[in-house]
Amino acid sequence: MNRLWWKQIRAVIRLEMKKTFFAKRGIWIYLLALAPLVLFAGHAIETARHRQALVRLISQNEKPLAEQDFAAITPGMAQEEVVERLGNPPVRNSWKARRRTGPDSIDVFMREQYHYGAGQSEFFVEIEHGKVAAIHRRQEGCDFGQDSIIFASVFQFFYLRLAIFFGCLGIFMNLFRGELLDKSLHFYFLAPIRREIVMIGKYLAGLIAATIIFTTSTALQMVALGWHFDPNALSTYLYQNHGLAHATAYLGVTALACLGYGSFFLAAGLLFRNPIWPAAAILLWEGLNPFLPSLLKKLSVIYYLKSLCPVEIPVGPGVPPVFALLVSNADPIAAPLAVFGVITVALAILLASSYQVRRMEINYTTE
Amino acid sequence: MNDRIILEDVSKFYGEVLGVNRVNLSIPPGISSLVGPNGSGKTTLMNLMTGLIRPTRGRIRILDLGTDEPEKLFKIVGYCTQFDSFPKGLTGYQFVYSYLQLFGHDSRIAEEMAWRAIERVNLVQAAGRKVAGYSKGMRQRIRLAQALCHDPRVLILDEPLNGLDPLVRAETIAVFRSLAAQGCHIIISSHILHEVEVISDQVILLSNGYVVAEGQIQGVRSEIQEHPMQILIRCDRPGELASQVFQSAHIVEARMHTDGRGLLIKTRDPDQFYLLLNRIALNGIAVESVAPADDDVNSVYEYLIGSEEVKR
Repeated sequence: MNRLWWKQIRAVIRLEMKKTFFAKRGIWIYLLALAPLVLFAGHAIETARHRQALVRLISQNEKPLAEQDFAAITPGMAQEEVVERLGNPPVRNSWKARRRTGPDSIDVFMREQYHYGAGQSEFFVEIEHGKVAAIHRRQEGCDFGQDSIIFASVFQFFYLRLAIFFGCLGIFMNLFRGELLDKSLHFYFLAPIRREIVMIGKYLAGLIAATIIFTTSTALQMVALGWHFDPNALSTYLYQNHGLAHATAYLGVTALACLGYGSFFLAAGLLFRNPIWPAAAILLWEGLNPFLPSLLKKLSVIYYLKSLCPVEIPVGPGVPPVFALLVSNADPIAAPLAVFGVITVALAILLASSYQVRRMEINYTTE
Repeated sequence: MNDRIILEDVSKFYGEVLGVNRVNLSIPPGISSLVGPNGSGKTTLMNLMTGLIRPTRGRIRILDLGTDEPEKLFKIVGYCTQFDSFPKGLTGYQFVYSYLQLFGHDSRIAEEMAWRAIERVNLVQAAGRKVAGYSKGMRQRIRLAQALCHDPRVLILDEPLNGLDPLVRAETIAVFRSLAAQGCHIIISSHILHEVEVISDQVILLSNGYVVAEGQIQGVRSEIQEHPMQILIRCDRPGELASQVFQSAHIVEARMHTDGRGLLIKTRDPDQFYLLLNRIALNGIAVESVAPADDDVNSVYEYLIGSEEVKR
């Protein structure tokens, strides 16, 4: 690529960036990108609120308690003995309970609940007729393992397949189609610049915009997810338990998704007037990927992206086989090959698009 | 290197709709006007010349360059389209400057060229304003600036004088003349026939996608045999002149001018008429002036395309 082409590509990118980032019709893309952030930020806020409530509860215990102290509390134990071992509960609830004791008789009695906090848990001791009827434990906070599976599920099923997919549709299909509708594409086609260079410039502008929007959202989602954890535990997770590697992998997968889907939708914008049909076809193709023969699988973006996702979503025994097939990656490939695969698919599509853009005619009256 | 714009057997169909058909043209430097009613194929021809659309059949060469190589073509071609839309959010200056940056010019050079073009169309004051807020005439001028900014050898202008006020119109025509004098090709499409008459070195008349005539307007007029040539003779005794000219077989009609001081005659053989007039003048009728009355674009257009299409 010569120096002139680089200058021309930079000129196209400069013109396109403002349009791509600040287009009024692109607001929904930001909303789509930030939707999981709202979910994870909500989760973080709720967890933090619970943690504060637990700390407050523990501080109100009559005497210091450890989680092991509750192991000694067993059903049938007298109410006084509970108070003797654990102290008076900081929160005590009571209500009238009813239980059917025969065909025509109902037993009405007082039920009490003693609410304690200890360690990372809340304990609820149920008292009936002066004796322990049951004891429940609710563990506060989340562990990294559980949260990383939740993140992986949201990332694979919503973020990759829907948010980035439709976001790229909005950004990349408009690169040519939008200008045809605005009747302004001739601005580029009347300049001494190869049309392939215009296409590359527009694609790179779309890629930069999509990557910035979606990787920023991915990064913020991860920050939101880790925000409520203890800083020391977070540091251990990041630096000693693959946390940083996972974060890098997710950011990389996000960028590769923009690269792959971007090329699909740029081509679709050159070929089709109505974005709904190509979007539906590509969505169907990507959705059918697990059911396709091995060779056809490789002609999709999601196949490579799934192989690059760092956390595998566990399939429980009760999960329907179709769903299990969507979740699991039966035919994964090595990460370098997956990266190479996405880039190859994108380049192949861009090459085909360059022929199309070279032959493209401007006839706004038919748009 | 060929200095002509050549179209060889060019046709363009939009599906089954005819754009232009079997157009053969060889356009020399100078100002050439494409004249024809709406839908006659003027814009199609211009879009074909600039590669915005491809011919269904035929070949187009612009000074030896193909229209499928925009990277070469637009170094020498500037096209002021009729499309009244611009990239969003740009000021007039940014519009021209961004266009020049697509050439790969350094920013300093692009800046200088942009300002020069903007000055040429008298839009310096408004150059910092968003194009979206421009009047129709200002948008036309900034498009002209864009087409002119890289000093093209071929300037293709689709209705370039639309929306311009008389002063700017005159200045713009002067710019076209000066470029034509420098050996540039200026291709103009226009509906305004008296303007075409004033500015064109040659005209290309289009009707329903066909070129019906091309060349210098007087040459085209003399080719139209079925309409007798009209000549206005100013003289002191028009009645006597009428009786004398009517003795010739080639005179079809002789009509007194409305002011009573001239005679409008129609003849099938202008050369014979001029010889006859010399003889009559020698016999004592004082002839003040003799001028063809229908070798203008209006008349040619009317004869070839039809009076119902004439727009003035």
